[in-house]
Amino acid sequence: MVAWRNERAARDARLEAGRAFADGKVVAAGSVTDLLEAVLRPGDRVCLEGDNQKQADCLARGLAACDPARIHDLHMVQSGIVLPEHLDVFETGVARRLDYSYSGPQGARIARMLYGGQIALGAVHTYLELFARYFVDLTPHVALIAGVSADRDGNLYTGPNTEDTPTVVEATHFKNGLVIAQVNEIVERVPRVDIPGDRIDFVVEADRPFYVEPLFTRDPAAMTETQILIAMMAIKGIYAEYGVRRLNHGIGFGTAAIELLLPTYGERLGLKGQIATHWALNPHPTLIPAIESGWVTQVHCFGSEVGMDRYIRERPDVFFTGSDGSLRSNRAFCQTAGLYACDMFIGATLQIDLMGHSSTVTQSRVAGFGGAPNMGSDPHGRRHPSETWMKAGREAQIVGDPALMRGRKLVVQLVETFGEGLVPTFVERLDAMELARKTGLELAPVMIYADDVTHIVTEEGIANLLLCRDADEREQAIRGIAGYTEIGRGRDRAKVEALRARGVIRRPEDLGISPLDADRSLLAARSIKDLVHWSGGLYEPPAKFRNW
Amino acid sequence: MAVTSASADPTRLSWYEASARQRVAAFLDADTFQEFVGPAERAMSPHLPLFELPRAFDDGIVVGRGRLDGRPVLVAAQEGRFMGGAFGEVHGAKLVGLLRAAGAVTPAAVLILFDTGGVRLQEANAGETAIAEAMRAIAEVRAAGIPVIGLIGGRAGAYGGGGLIAGTCARLAVSEGGRISVSGPEVIETNKGAEEFDSRDRALVWRTMGGKHRRLTGGADAYVADTVAAFRQAALALIDRAPAFDLATLEAEQARLEARLARFGACRDGAEIWVRLGVNDPDAVPAMTDAAFAETVAGVPEASHDAR
Repeated sequence: MVAWRNERAARDARLEAGRAFADGKVVAAGSVTDLLEAVLRPGDRVCLEGDNQKQADCLARGLAACDPARIHDLHMVQSGIVLPEHLDVFETGVARRLDYSYSGPQGARIARMLYGGQIALGAVHTYLELFARYFVDLTPHVALIAGVSADRDGNLYTGPNTEDTPTVVEATHFKNGLVIAQVNEIVERVPRVDIPGDRIDFVVEADRPFYVEPLFTRDPAAMTETQILIAMMAIKGIYAEYGVRRLNHGIGFGTAAIELLLPTYGERLGLKGQIATHWALNPHPTLIPAIESGWVTQVHCFGSEVGMDRYIRERPDVFFTGSDGSLRSNRAFCQTAGLYACDMFIGATLQIDLMGHSSTVTQSRVAGFGGAPNMGSDPHGRRHPSETWMKAGREAQIVGDPALMRGRKLVVQLVETFGEGLVPTFVERLDAMELARKTGLELAPVMIYADDVTHIVTEEGIANLLLCRDADEREQAIRGIAGYTEIGRGRDRAKVEALRARGVIRRPEDLGISPLDADRSLLAARSIKDLVHWSGGLYEPPAKFRNW
Repeated sequence: MAVTSASADPTRLSWYEASARQRVAAFLDADTFQEFVGPAERAMSPHLPLFELPRAFDDGIVVGRGRLDGRPVLVAAQEGRFMGGAFGEVHGAKLVGLLRAAGAVTPAAVLILFDTGGVRLQEANAGETAIAEAMRAIAEVRAAGIPVIGLIGGRAGAYGGGGLIAGTCARLAVSEGGRISVSGPEVIETNKGAEEFDSRDRALVWRTMGGKHRRLTGGADAYVADTVAAFRQAALALIDRAPAFDLATLEAEQARLEARLARFGACRDGAEIWVRLGVNDPDAVPAMTDAAFAETVAGVPEASHDAR
């Protein structure tokens, strides 16, 4: 007789063991470690919700305090390695294996622990890739998630930072797993039900509100004239040229400058309504002036941003909001939107090689990928046309039947030739390759592969890689905009001039832009306070960004 | 909103965004500025090359003479974007020289457009000496009946020795973004710990060192909008309101500072001081518009005084 309900029985046993520490579904913050020691089994796959922004930090502290004699060799499957506790569990032996996506602030420590062999690494994923594996071969046995509030039945309100939660719960709950949520407060009635209570097994009232980092706030006061020049070139040479309406922006200062130039420079070029109308984007404060000036039709968000909640509530025509009025974000859906429904991804990177491969890895840090490779890639599953996509496709198409041509997504890298600390952005060989060798990674951690990149913009010009017909042209196009870096100085002048004559390379003057016009007075907001004014006082910046 | 470009309407030029030269040009009567020891003379730091650091042809300060509403004035403007406007040997000497010249030139006022983090660490001895010399020179200029007015609204604020020099001026005007103090936020945090002062809490920094706080406590005599035009208006008004520099003024200042220490010495935050000053809604102060803030200041008697 074959047993078909072994997993269900195991789940029931865990639930029963956990109930000893709960009043109904509710567990006190002080009992988290007891609860986890009761419901976890050695070797379990565990998703400890560490998102790009919100963190299940109370549950993380509880897990880190578990007795490694009872709970050990866990296999952590979570998108973000953000808090120190996320790695502490590997030091104590509570956890052993890791599959993750992004590790920004813990990038240096994770690299040391990989070298030291304390972590058995599965792979570093992109967001969508990890989410997909939750449903195939990395399904969690237990998920530890975070929300703003819950009722005693477990109905969960995630607040504006819904992020990964629905995906994690979907994979865990419907495959015989256990879901434990930490919330800032237990209430009689939640403002809206983001996760129905029957998918939540235990609710922990956390000792303090979960941690969220303002990751997407760029202070206009720190924007340089070089960044403004690059932004002007991008608007005129790419946004206007291809009529880009549907897009995703990275989080750097270059794209923030573009956001602030739309209502000024973009307006002057007569581009309102022609470009940048539909977005897959976190609620960047620097987008406020463009929204207020009527540029933006709608924005779907991966997560929220600290200080933007009131503003978003008052702009439901633009943002996705729930019946309670607050933002509804969803990382998996927004990543999918960025991949399939946007015609352009534009963002910055730390290193670009001679072919156009790019990486944000340095030798001592493993920062992971997050979502940029999903959005910064040409989706071969796309089948709907748009003018932008088809124009890019025509530029790339050189052989074959035109009737079988397909479009291309624009993938644009926006970089200064020298980055922070005057480190050259253009290199012969990516640091990522050395890191892969040292840590024994099978795949070098390349953020965006060369064959996905269509344009590179620097202060020296735009290189259109779609128009390059062979590897040598591609190399010279990149050298031709690499400025005074070693790579730039190694250019073949005649070939670069020939590329410029063909429009493969375009200098600011070729676009009718004078670098002297790249002035901070062009920014629609020059300070965080200006953004507050634009928002009519609805944007409430966190203290670290204030100068009043 | 203020603008940044020199080519735009100068009355709307943002003080915070402008360079030292843009400030001077737009602040004085048009085309009246004559620079002393200008960049063409290449009076540069003799010390920075030892540290392989770049130099500036003006060593980060512009000094000279011009007219303000027709009246002759001497002006010094620090460039906060060159080494944080810090005092080096040449930088300091240009300011001290200007102040000493005032005795002979007898202008209607000397105006110091502060934008400095304090003494330049690479030439600290020369910088510290310059601070002391500048304070002595200001005392002499003021004793001769010439007002010295400080204007503070740049990115670097008036910190370190710049804060000390500001303390010797006859009058100070400050904007919301301006900061006045001696030890900077990071210095305090490094020496005393984040529990004492969290330098990343910028709202706290502004509540304890920022323009509004300094105006409410009488540390500055005028609070102005962030435009060159507003600073010009304020400077003109302050020149006419400069207190005499005599024993009575100094004794009044000593008494004012002693009383301030006794009353507010135990406060942990600017907002606590505002409560004790009788401000109705202290939490609303940081976000207040200029007009609302002017009303608040009018209700605080301690904000305006002649002790300097």
